[in-house]
Amino acid sequence: MRAADAVSQLRPRLSLRGRLYLFSGAILMLFAFNVGTSLWGSFARNESSIAYREAVTAAQLTAELEQNLQNKRQQVLVLATLRETTEEPLDAAALNQAYADLEIIAERLRQLGGFGGEDLEAYYRRLHDSVTALLGEWRQFYERYNETTQTPDIESAVSYNNTQQRLQELDQRQSFVAVQRANAIDATITLTDQITVLGFISSIAITLALVFAMIRSTNASLTRMKRGVERFGSGDLTYRIDEQRDSGEIGDLARTFNDMSTKLQTAIEEMNTARADADSANAAKSMFLANVSHELRTPLNAIIGYSEMLQDELGDGAQIDREQFHHDLATIIFSGKQLLTLINDILDLSKIETGKMQVSREIFSPAGLLVQVCDALSPLLLQNNNRLKLDIDKDSMRDMNSDRGKLQQIVTNLFSNACKFTKDGEITVSAHMSEESLIVSVADTGIGMTQAQQDRVFEAFTQAESNTGVKYGGTGLGLAIVREFCAMLGGRVALESQPDQGSNFRVTLPADPTSVPAGA
Amino acid sequence: MTDIDPSILLVEDNEVNRDMLVRRLQRAGHHVSTVGDGEAALEAMRQQQPAVVLMDMNLPIKDGWTACQEAQQDPSLSSIPIIALTAHAMEEDKRRALEAGCSDYATKPVDFPDLLAKIAAQLDARC
Ligand SMILES: Nc1ncnc2c1ncn2[C@@H]1O[C@H](COP(=O)(O)OP(=O)(O)OP(=O)(O)O)[C@@H](O)[C@H]1O
Ligand SMILES: [Mg+2]
Repeated sequence: MRAADAVSQLRPRLSLRGRLYLFSGAILMLFAFNVGTSLWGSFARNESSIAYREAVTAAQLTAELEQNLQNKRQQVLVLATLRETTEEPLDAAALNQAYADLEIIAERLRQLGGFGGEDLEAYYRRLHDSVTALLGEWRQFYERYNETTQTPDIESAVSYNNTQQRLQELDQRQSFVAVQRANAIDATITLTDQITVLGFISSIAITLALVFAMIRSTNASLTRMKRGVERFGSGDLTYRIDEQRDSGEIGDLARTFNDMSTKLQTAIEEMNTARADADSANAAKSMFLANVSHELRTPLNAIIGYSEMLQDELGDGAQIDREQFHHDLATIIFSGKQLLTLINDILDLSKIETGKMQVSREIFSPAGLLVQVCDALSPLLLQNNNRLKLDIDKDSMRDMNSDRGKLQQIVTNLFSNACKFTKDGEITVSAHMSEESLIVSVADTGIGMTQAQQDRVFEAFTQAESNTGVKYGGTGLGLAIVREFCAMLGGRVALESQPDQGSNFRVTLPADPTSVPAGA
Repeated sequence: MTDIDPSILLVEDNEVNRDMLVRRLQRAGHHVSTVGDGEAALEAMRQQQPAVVLMDMNLPIKDGWTACQEAQQDPSLSSIPIIALTAHAMEEDKRRALEAGCSDYATKPVDFPDLLAKIAAQLDARC
């Protein structure tokens, strides 16, 4: 994992544009490099042809100079011999010709000085000195040729031989330097040729590699994008593209896509929860309707059934059992009241929901109320063979200022639940008052509830299980009303319960809201 | 033993409704015996072999649907017609009762003449 991270850290994170710039920059540099080496190569070739030409010219000049010197010496020797034998002077034209010849030789010498450079400098200087001396001697020879009667001095053989020697040395040196230069230039040409070929081949290779890398990296980025879009599109709402892998435009695109994904995901999740909420609300409503229908029909069955039966019995004209008659009427009345309670519950809840429920306060004795309610509801105890334990702390009890009717209904609902969900057990109604509050608790030893059930039973139309209504009757309104009434009276209801261990509902209500200091 | 005088078994846990129906059926000339839960109903069916069973569906211990299904699977009980009685009045509830093996269905509050007709129809079908 860490190694992979390190690798991806090393990976150059370049934008697409950066990659393109880098790519074209690299190719341009390769191109410049190739052009450079090829220029260097052709420069070297040029160099070599110049050097060749120079060498040829220098060799030619040397040869000419040698020839001229030889000719002149021949002439001088001939003239000298002539002078000894004929004593005929030279005319002006011949002399001028001779001087011109000497001038030509001097000129050649100068020209030769233009070639060679440092390497040949010393050789040339020596040759120059000795040729100049020789020429001086020859000039003297001509100048004195006509003047004197005595035989003019011919140049010494030493001078001429010296000159010859120098000339030869220069010549040798020249060819040596030329060969050296040629070798150096050849080496350069070979080198530049090699560099050019290598450069060309490696340019192609590097360009190909760059193109390949470029395509691969761009393709990888785009593939990541595509995979992200596909995965998200096919419903994997939590999928996100790895933003760290790319920078620049594609990284931006990935980030934008991820932002969009997050928003979409939130929106879709919200929509789903909204729909689920709506669905469960709807399910609760239809459940409620089914339960209400069932609850209305049960007492109606008794009311209609007994009434029809009494009507029949009256119609028979037979002797009427007054006691039986009285009992049957009581049953009809009881069922009618049960029906009324249910209808009132539904009305209460809709009043609460539309905010129309009023609180009407009065001073009353909560202890008296509790005794009265338990008395009135004692028939419920018989249904499931339960015992009642009434535990009222007389010492702490006093009058309170609250809504008597609502407290009565709160206790009634809790009491009837306790009777309904407990069999052969004990129901304990206890109460005491503190400085500010009345605390009433209704505890039973019945079926109890799991934590999840406790969390939902205070919702309207909601029962612990979907079959609670079928098993025990009821519409899931009792506890919703308890909770709302407690809130309206400034108090609260708490529930402690465990499956099969029983439940304990504890209601806390302010004894006199007007006397409670603000903020307490 | 019940050939001449066919008897009805009423299965109902609600005391008020049970009392009311027993009295009305007796006034109409039927022999009626009662039990209060599904388990007891199966037991009574085995012992008494009633001509017709009127069964509430919301019963303690073993509910009406289960009792019906078990009666259907028991060869000695499968021939006894069962009329479902329930305060669940939705079309769905009716279908559920018939699927569980009930022969007929009556909704509470009971239309008594109609119930008598349904009982008579089941008795006729048996003869
Ligand atoms: N004392 C209790 N013991 C066990 N479960 C309880 C108790 N009180 C309430 N419950 C659970 O909470 C649910 C909601 O209670 P609530 O009083 O709101 O409705 P109900 O009693 O089913 O119907 P209604 O009160 O409208 O007739 C009940 O259906 C039951 O599952
Ligand atoms: Mg309740």
